[in-house]
Amino acid sequence: MELDYIATVLLSSLSSASILLIATIGLAVMFGLMGVINLAHGEFIMFGAYAALFATQIGIPYPIAVIFSCLATAVFGGLVERLIIRRLYGRIFDTLLATWGLSLVLYQSAVLIFGSVTPGIGLPISNVQIGDYSLSSYLLFLIVVAAFLIAGLYWLLTKTGYGITARAAIQDRETASAIGIESSRINMITFALGSGLAGFAGAILLPAIPATPNMGFAYVVKAFLAVVAAGPVTLTGTVVVGGMLGAIGNITASFWTSVVGDFVFFFLTIAILRIFPLGISGRWRMKL
Amino acid sequence: MNEENALHSRFERKEWPFGFAWWMPAVLVAAVFSLASFWIDPYLAYVGTSWVIFGLLGLSLDLVWGRGGLLSLGQTAFYGVGGYIGSIAAINLAPLTGNTVIWALPFGAVTGLILAAFVGWFIFYGRMGPFQSCILTYTFTLILWTGSISYTTKIGNAVVGGDNGMSNIPGFVLDFGAKAAELDPNMMFLFVVLVSAVVFLIVQAIVRLPFGLIIDCIRIDSVKTELLGYDIRKFQLVLFMFSGAVAGIAGAMFGAWANYLNPSIFSVYEALLVPIYVLVGGLGTLVGPFIGALTVGGLSFWLGGGAIGGQTTLVMGICLILLVLFLRKGIVGGLQLAYGQLFRRSAMVSDAKAIGSAVQINFDLLDNQRTDSADGSGLTLQTVDVLKSFGGVTPVDHISQTFEPGRVRCIIGPNGAGKSSYLKTCTGAYKPDAGQVLLGDRDITKISSFQRVNLGLGIKMQKAQVFDELTVQQNLWIAAYSQQRDREKADFTSDNMMKMLDMSDLAARPASALSHGEQQWLDIGMVLCLSPDVILLDEPAAGMTKNERLQLSKLVRALARTSAVVVVEHDMDFVRTLDAEVTVLHQGAVFAQAEIEELQKNDQVLEIYLGRRKSVRDF
Repeated sequence: MELDYIATVLLSSLSSASILLIATIGLAVMFGLMGVINLAHGEFIMFGAYAALFATQIGIPYPIAVIFSCLATAVFGGLVERLIIRRLYGRIFDTLLATWGLSLVLYQSAVLIFGSVTPGIGLPISNVQIGDYSLSSYLLFLIVVAAFLIAGLYWLLTKTGYGITARAAIQDRETASAIGIESSRINMITFALGSGLAGFAGAILLPAIPATPNMGFAYVVKAFLAVVAAGPVTLTGTVVVGGMLGAIGNITASFWTSVVGDFVFFFLTIAILRIFPLGISGRWRMKL
Repeated sequence: MNEENALHSRFERKEWPFGFAWWMPAVLVAAVFSLASFWIDPYLAYVGTSWVIFGLLGLSLDLVWGRGGLLSLGQTAFYGVGGYIGSIAAINLAPLTGNTVIWALPFGAVTGLILAAFVGWFIFYGRMGPFQSCILTYTFTLILWTGSISYTTKIGNAVVGGDNGMSNIPGFVLDFGAKAAELDPNMMFLFVVLVSAVVFLIVQAIVRLPFGLIIDCIRIDSVKTELLGYDIRKFQLVLFMFSGAVAGIAGAMFGAWANYLNPSIFSVYEALLVPIYVLVGGLGTLVGPFIGALTVGGLSFWLGGGAIGGQTTLVMGICLILLVLFLRKGIVGGLQLAYGQLFRRSAMVSDAKAIGSAVQINFDLLDNQRTDSADGSGLTLQTVDVLKSFGGVTPVDHISQTFEPGRVRCIIGPNGAGKSSYLKTCTGAYKPDAGQVLLGDRDITKISSFQRVNLGLGIKMQKAQVFDELTVQQNLWIAAYSQQRDREKADFTSDNMMKMLDMSDLAARPASALSHGEQQWLDIGMVLCLSPDVILLDEPAAGMTKNERLQLSKLVRALARTSAVVVVEHDMDFVRTLDAEVTVLHQGAVFAQAEIEELQKNDQVLEIYLGRRKSVRDF
């Protein structure tokens, strides 16, 4: 086995793990900080992708379009929290069902508005040559993006007032409200943050994965499984499990098909959950 | 009320009006539908058949969600795979007999059952949380969807064509022989109605068994159900397999109805409809899903499909959100509410006067209670050097204690002394890092709570744990049934316990309507119904009045004569009345062990209990 081959496999696994991480982190933030799973997460990613596409089409440069789409999805998420999620706190299954309904509404609306095919973004994609093999430079760039994303979130959750209060609220809701933390406001920000991260994922992945109404489905199976396998420790758990499962999924998918990759991913997850019922991080003392 | 009725009421939450037996309404409705099938328009019969099939699919979800308490988004997986396998069986085996349904339906049912057993084993025996199990069932369906699109194979004469689907599925043939013909739409409707009615009656009969009551208990409070000695994983798995079989039958009938199956049966849109049927009809009512499916199907039929312009997905998504937000009880729940307001109000008022009666324990009945239980074995509970630590904290630090019958044992200590943690290592909620827990001669260090209970441990947690939707009588009955597994013995034990606790007047009252103190008594009664040899009571006197505490103290002392009784308590006045040997825990370890009077003179004990001596003086 040659060195260039190994390097290529490693880098492509790392980049697909990074993609999974980027696509999952918004969901993980909501689950870890609010205890809510948003079944419309895939459609929030799609929302972000279309927002970025719209922005570039009216002439906004791509990097600014990413920020725009991130904010637009966050605002939308905040609205959803206000109108739906807030009324269902403590009703786990109802929250799941409502977000499930929302996912279909968003999907069908996208089909109605945009049709099922859309033009690409037209960003030139260059390749990097590694020995005899070549890799898309954008995929390598996504590895860097994932690293910065995690670092940024770590900063947000440990160094800002919002991050500290949000983490306090999830550890002990009653004490948090007793010392004046307004958990409904925190929850709205958290939901908006998770949504914004989904929007960011859709926008940043746009050059690699074009916007289509059903683009969310490509991520949701892996993203949901990664989040439940990771458990409640948002950052570390998701990075560990998402990275691991993403890389394994990539390797199996490159040998067989992506469907087989999904199956392997599924069985790995139930194996993990069989040993750690609340996810790998369920009994960690670390809370971030 | 005669004996027969008294026995029935144990498993029934709501009596039917007008003296109907439980099976009559279903049979009547099925008869009306059957009669209707002879004269309705064939096209309506054809479409209506699918609604009944969807109702059956909804019933399978209502079983696991409304009764079992787990939202499964994977019912269409069992339905779809059951449909495929049932249809493959029918395609290949029908030429042998002519008849198709004797192949399709059993194959569908068994497939759904096996698949549900597979998924359910991971969920229940892995003790997964609600999110985890819901996501697993959902992703399972999604994977089947993407997988089946590209999967092609040929099994005998059946061609599974991936996205192209599987065609040539034979319809409903009941006759045997080569000349047997498919049923016409009206007869097909009749057949599907009859099959659904039979399945529904079987479901009704099963939930009326003690099994159904246990399932209800698991939904209401799974931890308490386990503390009564039930292996909840087993019950949940059986229910899940049963619902998988129901979904599989529905799938097989759907294949025969459509004569064609394709991967869209696993799609999100298909899966989404199932909870909609359940919610429209009424969650947990079992009959609701049929009403929901008929309503949703009937409405879209009446609107002719054109009214919503093919945007079914959009409309259904919005419906689901609105249903969850605004209409939780569905049509059946709404009707029950209206019926209750019309006819039950007077009953409620006459019920209400029993509230506030003082508890008076009849101690003569205590021995009655214990005759068949305490076989005089007098088990001891022993912990040998148990250690439990979480990172830097060690709430249980090498505690060795032996608890024997004869005299009450009390465990006291300031907050954070490790009392609850120590109790949890005894109950099985915590597995110790080192050391042993022995019950009699048996090492129970590694076994689950329910197994410990079945070996003779009785556990009363700090907060009163009662099944609030169940009546007082049912609460005690389900506890007694756990150990006796005999309806009549459980009737006797629970009746005796109600008399002993002076709660007979409250027998038919839901536990949620009891006062806080009454709930504590009920919980204690449930523990005693288990006839335990070793009784662990965590702050039993919390929330009780002075008189109730006196009664409780007498009861605890009486129990201690034949069983080992351990009381974890905060209230020193109550401890004083117990005439107990007292163990003081401090920072996870045994600090002192003596009579309460001695401890009260011990300066060190006072110091850890009340803080530094200086502050004691200051106050």
